[in-house]
Amino acid sequence: MATTATITLESLDIAGDPVNVSKTTTCTKAGTTTDLDQTTGLNRVHLRSTTNKVLLAANAEGNDLSAKVYIINKATDPTLYCTITINAQTVGKLYAGDWMFIPWSQTDTSASIEIAATNWTASTGDIPVEYALFHEDTDFLTNA
Amino acid sequence: MATTIADITITSNDLLSDELSLSTSSTLTTAGSATGVTGTSGLGRKTVAGAHGQYTLFDGSDYTADKAHKIYLKNTSTTAAEYFLITVNAEDVGRLYAGDWAFFPWSAHDNDCDIKIDPSANDMTLEYMLLTDD
Repeated sequence: MATTATITLESLDIAGDPVNVSKTTTCTKAGTTTDLDQTTGLNRVHLRSTTNKVLLAANAEGNDLSAKVYIINKATDPTLYCTITINAQTVGKLYAGDWMFIPWSQTDTSASIEIAATNWTASTGDIPVEYALFHEDTDFLTNA
Repeated sequence: MATTIADITITSNDLLSDELSLSTSSTLTTAGSATGVTGTSGLGRKTVAGAHGQYTLFDGSDYTADKAHKIYLKNTSTTAAEYFLITVNAEDVGRLYAGDWAFFPWSAHDNDCDIKIDPSANDMTLEYMLLTDD
């Protein structure tokens, strides 16, 4: 059940010489070469909350198992961003079109991944966000 | 203005009963604008030698807060059990196992918002790149 994730980073002009990085990883269970076999599939939500909402709830059974999280801000207005936090610790801001792909260890049940449409107003419109989780914890309940 | 593009493709022929194929391209811009990011650390390589311990890869106080910085990390190990634990301001993000890579935004929103790596074994090597919005 091989699931692969490939990143390509390219720039001809951010430095004196071109940047060109391309790497592929096969998503596996923690500490093994066994493929991940669980996924939430690709989800889509429309955010309008300026305070944190749980996107993926940490689960005790998932503690230190392998999980990969993909999130993309599908807004087209470059000023609109989502703030991503884990256990209330801000990781970063996903601006329009930005995506992220991270391992998620669910170190404890407070380590939920939360998201906020921080600068949303009634006039900006909702911020569409897509996300997917690839994982090994069979006890994980989507949208729990 | 530099143009830097980050692409991701996630595929699987057998995880689901239908084929999974997800592909996205993002042009990396400064916070809240259409202007491209302007700085980079270049592609770096860090071996945490000897008795392994936590290492500060990026110090939050060295970068402007609340920008659209991006971080790329890759664990170059080929031993499946070896991982780097990635933390942001002491909060665990996740374990980057052998061959895994990660790409994420970093706000460096205060001086404590360091990115740290903690290898599970001695002499592990991480490749990294910071793209900065300063």
